[in-house]
Amino acid sequence: MNTGSQTNEAIYQLVSFVIENEEFGVDILKVQEIIRTVEITRVPKSPTFVEGVINLRGKIVPVIDLRKKFGIDRRELDNETRIIVVELTDKVVGFLVDKVKEVIRVEKSIIEPPPELTTSISTNYITGVAKLQDRLLILLDLDRVLSSDEQERLAEVETEAHE
Amino acid sequence: MAQHAMFSEEMKEIVDSFVVETKEIFEKLDTELLEIEKRPDDKELINSIFRAVHTVKGTSGFLSFEQMSVIAHRFEDVLNKLRRDELRFQAGMLDVMLEAFDQMKKLLNQVIERDIQEVDLSSTIKRLEMLSTGAAIPQKEAVSVEAPAPASSVEEAQPSEAAEQPSAEKSETQPEPKEPPHHEQAAAAAQAPAASKSERAVDTTIRVDVARLDHLMNLVGELVLGRNRLSQIVSSEREDNGHEDFTRQLNETGAQIDFITTELQTAVMKTRMVQIGRVFNRFPRLVRDIAREFSKEIDLVISGEETELDKSIIEEISDPLVHLIRNAADHGVEATEVREKAGKPRRGTIHLSAGHEGNHIIIEIQDDGAGIDPDKLKAKALEKGLITPEEAHEMKLDDVYSLMFVPGFSTAQRVSSVSGRGVGMDVVKTNITKLNGIISVESEVGKGTKFTLKLPLTLAIIQGLLVGVGAETFAIPLSSVLEVVHTSKSEVSTVNGRAVTRLRETVLPLVDITEILEVPGRNDDSQAFYTVVVGVANRKFGIEVDRLIGQKEIVIKPLGAYLKNIPGIAGSTILGDGRVIMILDAGELLRLADKSNRASAAAEARA
Repeated sequence: MNTGSQTNEAIYQLVSFVIENEEFGVDILKVQEIIRTVEITRVPKSPTFVEGVINLRGKIVPVIDLRKKFGIDRRELDNETRIIVVELTDKVVGFLVDKVKEVIRVEKSIIEPPPELTTSISTNYITGVAKLQDRLLILLDLDRVLSSDEQERLAEVETEAHE
Repeated sequence: MAQHAMFSEEMKEIVDSFVVETKEIFEKLDTELLEIEKRPDDKELINSIFRAVHTVKGTSGFLSFEQMSVIAHRFEDVLNKLRRDELRFQAGMLDVMLEAFDQMKKLLNQVIERDIQEVDLSSTIKRLEMLSTGAAIPQKEAVSVEAPAPASSVEEAQPSEAAEQPSAEKSETQPEPKEPPHHEQAAAAAQAPAASKSERAVDTTIRVDVARLDHLMNLVGELVLGRNRLSQIVSSEREDNGHEDFTRQLNETGAQIDFITTELQTAVMKTRMVQIGRVFNRFPRLVRDIAREFSKEIDLVISGEETELDKSIIEEISDPLVHLIRNAADHGVEATEVREKAGKPRRGTIHLSAGHEGNHIIIEIQDDGAGIDPDKLKAKALEKGLITPEEAHEMKLDDVYSLMFVPGFSTAQRVSSVSGRGVGMDVVKTNITKLNGIISVESEVGKGTKFTLKLPLTLAIIQGLLVGVGAETFAIPLSSVLEVVHTSKSEVSTVNGRAVTRLRETVLPLVDITEILEVPGRNDDSQAFYTVVVGVANRKFGIEVDRLIGQKEIVIKPLGAYLKNIPGIAGSTILGDGRVIMILDAGELLRLADKSNRASAAAEARA
């Protein structure tokens, strides 16, 4: 991940999670906590990939469904579904994922730049791919996931204004 | 010298407190200066003004805000002579004083904006000097002609200033300097008690940063949520669970926490309360200026200025009130001749009053002017194409008055410097809507107009009506709820493609939030629903809901930076059971409904 403090070190520490059949990793320093799903309240008129908001110890935290965000079909929430609560620049946001796997250390040397066509996911959010012994780990930049959302939302608002 | 030495980091706190203090002094001066005209012989009043200006002179000099200090100094000379009866108050004097006061305000603004520019004070200072020498009241235009005079007057002013100087240096913020004994006894005696009074007042108050109070308020908000949660647990705890003693203790503790939290909440809210007089203070000046400009005679009668409301609301209410007062003075009250012809007293009166009504504050602005002619409003609306002739014919009086709040609507025959640009009332409405307030208009042609504002006391913790729509629960701020009625489907009809129902004698537009907010799970087969009648600024409409759940104290929680500005949603809150629900923004809902209605009407027109 391209956070300043980490680029100089040889090892990344990542939280890995699964969506559909793919495994992703995010910088552990950005993760505030991982919680089981709680009741999620729908927010009317919000972008479709916003699942709603939750009550996190008295704080209202929006939850983004990464499946929807990545254009993957909806799946019923189950025992393994988790919300990864992430602190990004000035806001706390939850990301809904199928399941959380582990905390892993990845050597910088095994990370390759994102290939052109790995997944259906826009390569904008992908900072690289780590080749582990038995599998691939896609490194996500959640800041970018969110900022591209904002661009889309902005576009929505603008078209609305033109109506 | 854009970068004044006083604006360095280490001086920030001192400069900030100078600004706060001076602002407070200016607020007081705003009213007191105008009082001189009415009570020129009131020594107490002149002393109070003198002390205020003197303090500003001292503190600004100390912080080397030279120009402020200089003008305050000259101003003080005049006041000093007045209070010692060396000078008699004359009608034109106040204009010069107000001019000097305006210059001081300008200079203070520069300090606030951290941008000190040289201001041309020479003519104001000359005029002040002429006052203090007792020369004829200087006219603004005549200044250059009388220019030679000041040379001697400066010297004359000097001695009295010298007498003041030592005390000013000794105590910068002391309201009343110790007078040398050889001055007039009466004046000194009159000052003494006043001075000790204000000193005592200083002892019992402290200044607190608003941010700290906001933080305290947030914490109390969290506590209220916790309290709600606790009460819910306590009430669901059964007596027969085999732990009678435990249950009883839990109940007692719960009740105690409940009581204390409520007390604490009230106490914290009180610390944020500010007297509305702080806003009202500047209106006498406003009315006076307008009256002068248009050669009218207007009295402003203020009452209830001690009414308190939350600081955040005070800030929002100021602009709308300025607009309404301007309107009343400019368009409401007629010119003197017109009034005489109509058999009214020459002087027009504007009543501005504030008071509490339950959890609301009511502000009324009433003039005895020409009143609003509904036919003129209609004609204007027709001319602008806002309504059709048929609509104009059928319109109810309230709807006619509502036309005033449409953006770009102005009935003033002439556009003056103060009002008539057609933006004012629109702004008033927007601000009142933002505050969940209601505005209503009563008017009688030839008799006058009354605007009534109804506002909630606070914004952070509100009473909410919880309602169920389809599968979801929403809260509606109780301050905008007028009543709730049971409506059966058969009572709903369609007018211009919009669902309406009858509420007693009036037609009430209905807003279906399932449509606007895409609420799932609403049963279309049900034969009846509840209509929550909601008032937004000047309009009324009904929200269709399936269930009424109850009235709850709710803490407004913003949806956060990521989800801000969701249309129709004012925020969210957490219920006693930990569930999050959305708070409806009545004003926005109405706007959305209007919009979708217009869109469908346009589509029909095209078809």
